[in-house]
Amino acid sequence: MSERDLTRPHETGRRIPPVAISETSTLVNQTGSWKYIMPRYQDGVAPCNAGCPVGIDIEGYMYLIGQGRLQDAADLLIRENPMPAVTGRVCHHPCEDSCNRASLDEAVAIHSVERRLGDMILAAPPPPAPERTRTETVAVIGSGPAGLSCACFLARFGYGVTVFEAAPEAGGMLRLGIPEYRLPRAILDRQIERIEAEGIEIRISTRIGTDVPWAVLDGFDAVFVAPGAHMGKDSRIEGAEGVPEIRPGLEFLKEVNAGGRPELGDHVIVVGGGNTAMDCARSALRLGADVTVLYRRTPREMPAIPQEARETKEEGVKFEFLAAPTAVEMEDGEFVGITCQRMELGPPDDSGRRRPVPIEGDVFSMKADTVLTAIGEDCDLSFLPDEVRTNWGLVEVEALGESTSAPVFAGGDAVDLPRSVADALGAGKRAAIGIDHYLRKEAGEDVGEVPLDDLRFAGGNVSAMRYAKDEDPIPREAPVNDVVTWDQMNPHHYRSVPRHEDHFHAGIDLRSAFGETNFGLSQKEAIEEAERCLNCGVCNRCELCLIFCPDMAISRREDGGFEIDMRYCKGCGLCAAECPRGAIVMTREGM
Amino acid sequence: MSQTIIKQHIPRDDLLASGHLACPGCAAPIAMNLVLKALGPETMVVLPACCWSIIAGPWPQSSLRVPLYHTAFETAAAVASGIKAGLQSRGDTETTVIAWAGDGGTFDIGLQALSGAAERNEDFIYFCYDNEAYMNTGIQRSSATPWGAWTTTTPTSDPEHQPKKDIMAIMAAHRIPYAATASVAYPVDLVQKVEKARTIRGTRFIHILAPCPPGWKTQNDETIDLARMAVERRIFPLLEVENGGEWRFTVDHPGGPVEPYLRRQARFRHLNEVQVEHIQREVDARWKILSNRVKHGT
Repeated sequence: MSERDLTRPHETGRRIPPVAISETSTLVNQTGSWKYIMPRYQDGVAPCNAGCPVGIDIEGYMYLIGQGRLQDAADLLIRENPMPAVTGRVCHHPCEDSCNRASLDEAVAIHSVERRLGDMILAAPPPPAPERTRTETVAVIGSGPAGLSCACFLARFGYGVTVFEAAPEAGGMLRLGIPEYRLPRAILDRQIERIEAEGIEIRISTRIGTDVPWAVLDGFDAVFVAPGAHMGKDSRIEGAEGVPEIRPGLEFLKEVNAGGRPELGDHVIVVGGGNTAMDCARSALRLGADVTVLYRRTPREMPAIPQEARETKEEGVKFEFLAAPTAVEMEDGEFVGITCQRMELGPPDDSGRRRPVPIEGDVFSMKADTVLTAIGEDCDLSFLPDEVRTNWGLVEVEALGESTSAPVFAGGDAVDLPRSVADALGAGKRAAIGIDHYLRKEAGEDVGEVPLDDLRFAGGNVSAMRYAKDEDPIPREAPVNDVVTWDQMNPHHYRSVPRHEDHFHAGIDLRSAFGETNFGLSQKEAIEEAERCLNCGVCNRCELCLIFCPDMAISRREDGGFEIDMRYCKGCGLCAAECPRGAIVMTREGM
Repeated sequence: MSQTIIKQHIPRDDLLASGHLACPGCAAPIAMNLVLKALGPETMVVLPACCWSIIAGPWPQSSLRVPLYHTAFETAAAVASGIKAGLQSRGDTETTVIAWAGDGGTFDIGLQALSGAAERNEDFIYFCYDNEAYMNTGIQRSSATPWGAWTTTTPTSDPEHQPKKDIMAIMAAHRIPYAATASVAYPVDLVQKVEKARTIRGTRFIHILAPCPPGWKTQNDETIDLARMAVERRIFPLLEVENGGEWRFTVDHPGGPVEPYLRRQARFRHLNEVQVEHIQREVDARWKILSNRVKHGT
């Protein structure tokens, strides 16, 4: 007799045995009618995804690595980030700052995993270029991260793309501004080659407005402007004009990054607390100088990536905080050093950081052979036509990079964004979506508005896959576009596992070493690191809900997901309370 | 606890059917399901009067996919002995016989039969799922009810004033081959203990704490969390005793104040600070005794 058979012996006239024997199952009792609230699988967005300025499904590729699907993980990564081998090395990884795992032990070393996957992608032959499905062509000004990102996504959307690069080699600030010890040229070259293989033409040594007129862009259907910020801000040191020992830091970096080895003398002062300042200091150190960074606030306010600042310090660069250069000191017509003003922190300014104020009368001298100023850079936008409005030296843009003059779009350091590689890549992706949408609209397609909020990872950056409606390799249950926070998860099911830290150069004389200092993680370590990912908000089939359901109401579906049989679920909520990653919610909806 | 740990250590098939009559959030069916997963289909269950008499379903239903024998309150161990003897006389040495009783049927009413069977080292596994009172009949106190708890027979004006009976020490004193405590919040530990018990002959005893939302006056979704807190805060330590003398903890017990555990259960809501402090001292003292047993073997 089957369990579901409702037939009862006494009803069918069969003899009831002397000992009462149950012959049916309790499955006839639909105890699900007891509940007043019911569970539902609902995948949310992990905070790393929401915190990524590029818009990468980080949790997604971690999930795939956890399932042993390394190649699928790499494919998912490159679909949202065209240069993972670069960002795995130089990104300031805000994803790790938002990682929920930090509340348990330490954040997942996302950048190390990304770097491994990125190098894996570079080691493989590039896939065939995406099919050209659109007749329109787009010009991109600048081959930095913003330009190449925009170009790459446009090529994937089916457009013909030409990138104009003023320098003799592509890469923009990645090549000119980032020293080789952080981003080896071989890696950068291969990454750019792979992007070119997506069907993009890069015209080097072609500066718009100088080598070719703006009018050359008339032949294109849209333009993306991403020239970068290359003009060092005035140091405002009295008497600095015409003193060759006081140099813009970025200019020095460009010289070193192009292979130059300028004479700096023994004592070098770097003015500023940002990433350019750190790069200048470490490059000067490698040229044999004794280096001091002069910063007018305290370590807390430094805009440099903390890890870069830490490495700079560890390499032996000295820091002089709460000090600003005021005047050049000369002896017998020779440059000998600078006069510095001692500062203290006053009330917060517009940026929220405490403003440095001079302590009257507290001045001191610092000897130096060279002073490198790195207090910020401006953009040269003189090539832009007047219709493209600028504001405080930046192009005014809307959410998808639209300037005030269609069909011109802009991004990267030329717009009001944090100056990071990741933000530039994200801006390039947004503009590619903006341009595709604009061109389709121009072509008479009924495209409506771009559903920007839906394309964003829970308020973070946009997903190109969501925009293109690409198939998600991960089965999602009733996904919602909300971040899953630590308090929505159950920490008890996780054990503390130490984070794998990158391997660093040890015992090498940095003075003369421009080779890469960070070796990242081995493949095995990177996989172990990916397995530390908690898959916040996303069911990874751990099966704890099956174990803790008192009513056996949860079963495995053939596609790998789970199903709750509402005929038997009593709505106790144990599955939702115990789900380690907050992927089950209790709801009254639909009852 | 990663996904691989659950999938590697806990068998997939359920031998317990939906539609059983446990209250929402009850720990008893979770415990039964885990035990039957570990034992497999070659198992017979003896069930004295307890919550599970109801959970199993009214005649002519049964929620178990293995044979189940309902029997009188005081007889679980005697009937289990008899069924095992019957099976053996028919040449069946493979089937595992288990008695599955509540705390009333174990600590109080069934203790004589259990003691007799254990003394004869009868070949079955005795499970006590302990919800710390006679919950099925309306939350009357048992000798497993902890000190200070409210029940319908120990009202807040005169709450339980005996400490919980030390059943593990009683069973260890019978020098049975295997005795253990287990928790629904530690499913892998529970399954491993049951699998270990299955390979041993003679009387085996496993004591499982089973939080009860209506009896403990807690939310339905707190069952696992409370079971976990009881272990972590050393109120219900997880251990094994082999041959009555070898005591061993099987998980980490980080410790911590018992107050949050008590305050989440309305059965303890009436306790004042002095009373909570008393319970803390008792838990600390018992932990010391247990730690010594583990250290010195007895």
